[in-house]
Amino acid sequence: MRRLILLAMLAAVSTTAFAQLPGLRRRDGPPPVAPQQGVPLLGIDAVRADFVARSGSDMVYFGGDAAVLTPQAQAILQAQAIWLRQHPEVVVRIEGYADLSDTRDHALAVGARRAEEVRSYLILLGVPAAQLTTVSWGKEKIAVLGSAPAALALNRRAVTVIVR
Amino acid sequence: MTARPSLLLTLTIAVFASPAGAQPASVVAIPPLTTPNESNRGADSPAAIAWQASQLIASDLRSTAELVPVGPNQKDYYSYPEVTAPTFSRWRAQGAKYLVTGFVRSNPDGRFAVGCYVYDVSKGRELGRIGFAVRSDEWRRAAHKCSGLVYTAATGAPAGLFDTRIAYVAESGALGARVKRIAVMDSDGTDHNFVTVGDSIVLTPRLSPKAGHLAYVSYVGGQPHIRVVDFDTNQQRPLVPTSEMTFAPRYAPDGNRIAFSMQQGPNTDVYVVDANGGTPARLTTAPGVDTNPGFSPDASQIVFESDRAGSQQLYIMSADGSGQRRISFGGGWYADPVWSPDGQWIAFTRRIPGVGTRVGVMKPDGTGEQSLTAGPGDEGPDWAPSSRELIFQRAGPDGRTALYRVALTGGEPRRVNTPQDGAEPDWSGVID
Repeated sequence: MRRLILLAMLAAVSTTAFAQLPGLRRRDGPPPVAPQQGVPLLGIDAVRADFVARSGSDMVYFGGDAAVLTPQAQAILQAQAIWLRQHPEVVVRIEGYADLSDTRDHALAVGARRAEEVRSYLILLGVPAAQLTTVSWGKEKIAVLGSAPAALALNRRAVTVIVR
Repeated sequence: MTARPSLLLTLTIAVFASPAGAQPASVVAIPPLTTPNESNRGADSPAAIAWQASQLIASDLRSTAELVPVGPNQKDYYSYPEVTAPTFSRWRAQGAKYLVTGFVRSNPDGRFAVGCYVYDVSKGRELGRIGFAVRSDEWRRAAHKCSGLVYTAATGAPAGLFDTRIAYVAESGALGARVKRIAVMDSDGTDHNFVTVGDSIVLTPRLSPKAGHLAYVSYVGGQPHIRVVDFDTNQQRPLVPTSEMTFAPRYAPDGNRIAFSMQQGPNTDVYVVDANGGTPARLTTAPGVDTNPGFSPDASQIVFESDRAGSQQLYIMSADGSGQRRISFGGGWYADPVWSPDGQWIAFTRRIPGVGTRVGVMKPDGTGEQSLTAGPGDEGPDWAPSSRELIFQRAGPDGRTALYRVALTGGEPRRVNTPQDGAEPDWSGVID
């Protein structure tokens, strides 16, 4: 029953843009952008760009120590699920991250929990489990440096990375 | 790198007295070790080794909170017979409470005999002596052993403190894309070696008690998992053959078992496994993150952290997993518990919202909590084998990390020099 409702929601949501917090520079590679006119992307780069363009984002954010999906995160994952079901040949790695205020081993476990939460939700939305792998980066790959609350918030994330 | 020789040839060892409760910051006179034969002055001569060993002993003792070494000074030379019959008034006049004498001499087999004597200057009596026959490349260990004898005689702490190893994560490269390598060094910073080459992210090196093995977490192959290095053979292997994430390893005091965490789905639990492999035994089942297990010195109990009650807190259980009970109740989050080698304390990282992370200690029953550092970026403590000092990681406002030492009695933490930025330190036990 829950699955039917979610599928109905899916039909209503096509793409959802996620607003970046202003004034903070991203430190890991920027998300792929849509291909510009006349500069066609090839291979996996083109696939990744299409995924981000149609899903709104390859990234969802979490609050505090939590692994709970916010409504905004659910909307992005619903769009990701549509795309992934249309591309059954694609395999993704869901990368979970924690922020620098966490201790190292707990951060690893929290990152894993976030990646698992995204994976479970995508499966609930009908994406075959075989398309989904997970890894936790704990606090080893910080996207935004600094201890300000806004910087910490941008590190509490899960990223859906197309691996093939 | 290779394992250290497990044994020096011990000629004599005796400690006649271990006065507990010595006054803080006692002066130790360290005149240069002497030599019976002054003719050989080469780089590998007894005289050269005697001078360097004296400097190393002073350097070792300078790193402690309790002792203030004076010397070695060229003008303080004494004769060979004075090694066992020092002129106490001379050192009393310098304000010394303790005196170290000793010698280095050539043996017919090409090795060197190193002798070391500790005296209570005010009482005019010997507190202990130790002697070794060493190869010319082993004198540092003999000097470290001598430092340990002095420290034991003066403070009552276990012997061998200075002949220990520290493992840590050496960080280099741009922040946000750090290259991380496991490094191991003597506790005085010498004999520094890299264990991994930096092609994969590595975490949490943990030495076996005698520093012959190392467990750490590696991302090699994609999924973080615990690997074990044998320094004798330079071989390494995964601790348990699983595709699940394994992390937070720590050796039992006898080195034969490793407690660790394994993640399955959203749940992370504590397991224990034979250090040589085998089937892990699961010790916790609570939903949530149970991690950072560490044994009590008698191996009968395990301290760990869990967020089963909503936030990270410290818990203790019997080594079979029974009798789990929470010991931290101070507000905020508690993590990274490590039992002191003498069993008296549990060190931890405390996260205080809006303040940051600090290193503190509490008794195993949860009482007597003290903060040892002010933060805001201090975490991951581990004990010196003396149980009187801790090493930890401090992150600056720029995100760069360094290793620091702090005494159990408090005071300003002191930086530990490393060739690159240092994080996640682990201090071995006494090697032999």
